[in-house]
Amino acid sequence: MALASLTRLSFSYPGGGLALDDVTLSVEPGEVLLLLGPSGSGKSTVLRAFAGLVPWFHGGRFEGRVEVAGRDTRHTRPAELAGTVATVFQDPEDQVVLGRVEAEVAFGLENVGTPPRAIARRVTDALEAVGAAHLSGRRVTELSGGELQRVCLASALALAPQLLLLDEPSSQLDPEGAAAFFEHALDTGAAVVLSEQHPALALPLADRVAFLERGRVLLDAPRDEALAWLEEHRPAWALEPRHRLLQGSEVGEVVCRVEDVTFAYADGPPAVDGVSLELRRGEIVALTGPNGSGKSTLAKLAAGLLEPQGGSVTRMGRASFLLQDPGRYLVRERAQDEVELGADPERARRAIADVGLTGYEERHPSDLSTGERERLALATVLVTEPDLLVLDEPTRGIDPERKAQLAELLCAQAQTRATLLVTHDRAFADSVADRVVSLAPEREVVRA
Amino acid sequence: MRPTVAALLLAGVCAGALLAHRLVALSVLVAVLLVVCLRAGRRAKPYLWGTLSSAGFVFLLSPFLQSTGYHELWTGPRIPVLGTLDVTSEELHIAGLNALRLAAVGLAFAVYALLLDHDRLIAAATARRSVLAAALATRLVPTLERDARGLVEALRGRGLAPRGLHGHAALLSPLLAGSLERGLNLAEAMEARGFGRPGRTRLPAPPWRLPDAVGVAGAIAAVVAGALWL
Repeated sequence: MALASLTRLSFSYPGGGLALDDVTLSVEPGEVLLLLGPSGSGKSTVLRAFAGLVPWFHGGRFEGRVEVAGRDTRHTRPAELAGTVATVFQDPEDQVVLGRVEAEVAFGLENVGTPPRAIARRVTDALEAVGAAHLSGRRVTELSGGELQRVCLASALALAPQLLLLDEPSSQLDPEGAAAFFEHALDTGAAVVLSEQHPALALPLADRVAFLERGRVLLDAPRDEALAWLEEHRPAWALEPRHRLLQGSEVGEVVCRVEDVTFAYADGPPAVDGVSLELRRGEIVALTGPNGSGKSTLAKLAAGLLEPQGGSVTRMGRASFLLQDPGRYLVRERAQDEVELGADPERARRAIADVGLTGYEERHPSDLSTGERERLALATVLVTEPDLLVLDEPTRGIDPERKAQLAELLCAQAQTRATLLVTHDRAFADSVADRVVSLAPEREVVRA
Repeated sequence: MRPTVAALLLAGVCAGALLAHRLVALSVLVAVLLVVCLRAGRRAKPYLWGTLSSAGFVFLLSPFLQSTGYHELWTGPRIPVLGTLDVTSEELHIAGLNALRLAAVGLAFAVYALLLDHDRLIAAATARRSVLAAALATRLVPTLERDARGLVEALRGRGLAPRGLHGHAALLSPLLAGSLERGLNLAEAMEARGFGRPGRTRLPAPPWRLPDAVGVAGAIAAVVAGALWL
């Protein structure tokens, strides 16, 4: 008997179109179900339905039936399902309630009425299970994104749930961190429903795969069968791109020279120490390395957002920088106005078209999906026509098809500028970059 | 010291400061709170800026809005509605007292926000929902500060550094929208983690120790001393 099931579920958020359209899915005890699909296809809504958050928290129009551990979610509040179900959301910063690691992990246990004497032991066990015992006693504000994501997983696992829901949990993690995260998450024996944008990471772990598009389930099959279907119908999802898109590009003059720079944030050790880098017009350079290796800091130094405390940075021409999670930092009320902040209307329209958002000019940025917001943010830096373009984790939260489009766009415009990509996504780096520069101590600078 | 006792001690110090009427006593109290607050390092900066600038504003403005005392130190022009502007030594004394009281309350809040373990405060509280709401509201200040830094950095990355009051004021709307979105996401996560479900339990509190008793006595002493001697 299925542990959890959606039966002919259709759902619309208040004021929105159909987010799920006649969806039927089920999860067996201990099974790992992988949800794939483009941004806005309904993956997160499926997870919310399993958690009871749809419709209880969001409201909206709900038809069909959702059952979890024999309970109909129309009659069971999400808080009552907590413990049976546990969720790790996409952005760990938006789900942390308390200030210290142990209190945060204990929060759910207290809410579900765990006997007080058992709470401390279960907190310790959960932190150990995810390899985060060393974080005990730390303030959550001091943790990196990866560490915080582990604490969120520990909070979920401490509840010993029957059903674990993971919404793009690897989006902020480097490949090693993501692999470790999945290993810990799948080690519990709980059934797992996992939504992911990186199929290469998640496909080997899945027992079954469902592919969603525009709120409908196009595929629900065991992994091997699903792999064959993806290769035939959605090849971008079956394999990460291994071919190089940029062939024989010619490099021009130096646009940015970073020489022996050092930078430390207040009260901390050096984030970047004695690093040199040269960026030339016409080349795309990928900067890789594990969480905390100083990639973003070096990128900000190159773009002029930070001043080096030692060494020098020389830039010839204009630099533009796209932050991580740029969708959070849009300031105008129309997409067109947002892009026009950096240029005239005609260039703004061109930049919007370049990122595939033609027709969205009048929309409020907050009404766009996460992926659409990220593309709008990309347009806001492309429109400035910089000599040096720096992109910090541009593939985060982007599905493989959009990633391929981004790669094509960067390669098509490569000759006009120097491009520096900060990325955890090695397949993407290999597909677009002339050079991959690793800040990991064990890797040398690689020339493609 | 357990955080409930520390919060009680801070409340006692605030009450003592509001009741005190000696400049020297209030100055000492403010200096002590300032030293404690500085233990938080750079995180204390926005709190110190807000508190000390507000206190300075009260000290500078209030003598002109009062008509107290006979020992004039300065007489200025006559302003319609307000009358003749003047400053007396009594007005300066009262302005100093009010500014120091405001500084003491502001710094006590900063110590509460920066140095207390809010998690244990919430765990110990009977009215858990209210204390949790207060703790989340306290966290709003650093979150907004970080979001504002992110917005400014994002705009600088586009070559659009905000300038002047108007430029920075334009950031208020996206900041507010961002904090509302964060609030909704957090509320959703709390619901999914069982918040509000009946029958909740709590981590056992650590045993009562000597510093806790000293803290309670200190809170009572601060109120009594403020009312009677300071």
